[in-house]
Amino acid sequence: MLKSWKLKEIVLMSLFSVVFGIVYLLFVHVGNIWSGFIGPIAYEWIFGIWFIVSIICMYIIRKPGAAVVSETIAAAIEVLLGNAVGPRLILSGLVQGLGAEAVFAATRYKRFDLWVLMLAGVGSSVFSFVYGYFLGGFSVYSTGYVALMLGIRIASGAMIAGVGGKAVADGLLATGSLRGYAISRSKKGEARA
Amino acid sequence: MKHALHKMNPSVKFLAITVCMFTMAFFFDPWTPFVFWIAVLVLQVFLSQINWKKWLLFMLPFFVTAFGYFWTTLVFAEEQSGPVVWSIWNMHITEVQLNHALSLSFRVLAFSSLSLLFAFTTNPVTFILSLMQQLKLSPKIAYGVMVGYQFLPVLKDEFVQIQQAHRLRGAAQEKNALQRLLGIRRILIPMLAGAVRKAERAAFAMEARGFTGERRSSYFQVISIGKVDVVLVVLFLIVLVLSCTNGLWLS
Amino acid sequence: MHKIIQFEQVSFRYPDEEKWILEDLSLTVLRGERVVINGPSGCGKTTLLYLCNRLYPDNCDGVLNGSIKIFGKDSSSFIPGEINHRISTVFQDPDSQFCMQTVEEELAFTLENLHVRREEMEKRISEVLTLTDLSEFRHSVIQKLSGGQKQRIATACALIMQPEVLLLDEPLSHLDPYTAKKYVEWLDELQQKRSMTIVAIEHRLDLWGDFFDRSISLKENKEPPPFDKRKSSKQDDVSLVVNKVSAKSFLQETTFSLNRGEIAVLAGPNGSGKSTLLKALCQLIPSSGSVEPKLLGYVPQSPEFLFLTKSVQDEVGFGGGINVDEMMTRLQLFPIADAHPFAVSHGQKRRVAIAAMLSDGREVILMDEPTSGQDAAALAELFQLIDERACEGTTFLIVTHDMEFAYCLADSVLLMRDGCLTGKFEAGAMWSDEQLLLDHHLLPPKEVMHREACFA
Repeated sequence: MLKSWKLKEIVLMSLFSVVFGIVYLLFVHVGNIWSGFIGPIAYEWIFGIWFIVSIICMYIIRKPGAAVVSETIAAAIEVLLGNAVGPRLILSGLVQGLGAEAVFAATRYKRFDLWVLMLAGVGSSVFSFVYGYFLGGFSVYSTGYVALMLGIRIASGAMIAGVGGKAVADGLLATGSLRGYAISRSKKGEARA
Repeated sequence: MKHALHKMNPSVKFLAITVCMFTMAFFFDPWTPFVFWIAVLVLQVFLSQINWKKWLLFMLPFFVTAFGYFWTTLVFAEEQSGPVVWSIWNMHITEVQLNHALSLSFRVLAFSSLSLLFAFTTNPVTFILSLMQQLKLSPKIAYGVMVGYQFLPVLKDEFVQIQQAHRLRGAAQEKNALQRLLGIRRILIPMLAGAVRKAERAAFAMEARGFTGERRSSYFQVISIGKVDVVLVVLFLIVLVLSCTNGLWLS
Repeated sequence: MHKIIQFEQVSFRYPDEEKWILEDLSLTVLRGERVVINGPSGCGKTTLLYLCNRLYPDNCDGVLNGSIKIFGKDSSSFIPGEINHRISTVFQDPDSQFCMQTVEEELAFTLENLHVRREEMEKRISEVLTLTDLSEFRHSVIQKLSGGQKQRIATACALIMQPEVLLLDEPLSHLDPYTAKKYVEWLDELQQKRSMTIVAIEHRLDLWGDFFDRSISLKENKEPPPFDKRKSSKQDDVSLVVNKVSAKSFLQETTFSLNRGEIAVLAGPNGSGKSTLLKALCQLIPSSGSVEPKLLGYVPQSPEFLFLTKSVQDEVGFGGGINVDEMMTRLQLFPIADAHPFAVSHGQKRRVAIAAMLSDGREVILMDEPTSGQDAAALAELFQLIDERACEGTTFLIVTHDMEFAYCLADSVLLMRDGCLTGKFEAGAMWSDEQLLLDHHLLPPKEVMHREACFA
């Protein structure tokens, strides 16, 4: 799988991860302590922000594996930047990435419209929730509460990662800096057709 | 002795910690995660040299999170059977509920301590090198991550510069979280545009130095697995077994 | 003589563009030569270089016609990475050509790529560090070093491969002239110690002195309109008063004033606090003292950092200025009014930034290193932009290392060293004060040196 990847695409994913890593560091941690009091549901609504890298990278690079590799790299970078959640982030990154990847694979990497991106966000949400359900011991919670958490996370995945990811990537495309990546080629193709 | 955890092979440490965490996920009694947490702390006290002030600072949010878990588990518990042990207003908390709540809170603390143990005793570069040498991570990905890591100061600096430039333009600092989330986009676009440029340059520079992504035949910095790793893995396993069988020896 | 690089009727274009970047190009480089390839930006210099070290065509899926022979063999017959063991490259941007944290790790990375045996690595690392006189930096963190030091490290990384050919991709363009001159002297010594073929692409030959044996021009070098020394547009009333401004820990108390229409240049060694001073004046960093007026314009080295909207028109009007249309006309921005501000050329970005500042009513403009990395045509454009605005009454404070540019443009020069303003000098006599310039790591402008030589 990695054979068909150009080095510049992998480095791109890595640098995007660093950029988002900085954003997480400087923005998301504000108010961390207060939300902690609310319990595990506190972060659900913002959970989609963790999946955004994989969706942006897949949308730009459009090669099998882009979602799972980029999300794993993003998690690894988080660990290197000294995220206190530590090494288990790498596993959650892998799981989240697989969720998005599954959706893209189901379209055989042919469709990258808004609906597919939102679905990919949902895919990440569901996969990560199953993982969290197990590690976080959510089974002790009442079904209603678990359903609520899952519902918020799915909405967040679809909105923040899907819609937000597309908005950021489209914004970037408009700056003209993505020449030479699959996303630019497809836009040209569409324009010609 | 005091350096053992710092000297431990990062991949082995990573695997040991992962195994411990997944094992812990099967237990819902308060004692197992509690004993395990204490044991992890003991390991850390005797086998590492860390700045405990910093440790406490990092641990503080996790204490809060643990508390969050505690009360949500009490309020939103699935199982409400068993004798009532505690009543506040008109809430009756059963023994099962209380046990689950304590268990999840201690689990949060145990996981966080494990994570901090890793974070405080592992050099990031050594970790990546070890993933490549022991766990056969593809060099393409390993060095890709490494590039990102060394770019951190450059990109951080750029972030500050863009923020300053935007402030000059009169883009006000938004107060509420949602607006701030939307506001990030304005900073993101120039950062990402710069990242695309830098990524290509860095990748070209690596290729121009003969990097092809294939496996390496020798390493300058060899990360090995030694006696210390065997001893520490055994220690981790003993801790794990002891805490899982606490029912046998605690009562 | 051995032919090392041979291009025969080579044409190249990117897959999604119709225009050929290189057309029917033929050239030959012989062993041991020092060749420079020049031409204006966008003439395909970089493409040519990337064809020599095999980054292209694979990396961009480009279309290539004609034959490229390297060391007498067809270049496509080399396996990936093979050519890079014999031809090594130093790139333009000092910030983004490394992948490891420390110098030693970076050198080791290179050796690992070559499959050098581990026992040999230590020896080769020490050797190259001694050769390049960089031993003291062995354990330094690369990103903490200065631009000039980084370019030397990059060169050391290229040399550790013991290449037959060294390619240089405008290695000086991000260095100030003083550092650049030192780098050229250093490289000259190295080439004599270890005979290699050197092929460079460069648009500014003046900094290289007589380093090269031969130059190849890629396109008819249309001499860009040279700029002459401008006539001062300085008026009598004061427009910027800076009183005892200082910033914590580094910037000493600074006091000076500028008049309407005055162009002042701020110069000094790297790390002397020039950027800090600009930021303190715009209140981007906490500082004490007073600045009048409060609202100053500021154009960072990357003007796109300022941009907040999706079109040039919105960008200029972002601050809610009333004379947006007038500014757009005066700075000739209407042709690109609907373009995305990130997608226009670098010169246009700067134009947009200045238009936005002016329409906000910011009458004093501070510019941070606008000359860095610019070719002659871009410098001419910049010169014109500043000249016209100053004649309209705008005041400029410009940080630059380029004393040719400063000589032609400036009414006055502010010199800085170690966080302290040495003083404000009227342009004129100070240009021949070589000691003063040297103390601030500046090279006197050529025109002055010329005149001196005539008098001597």
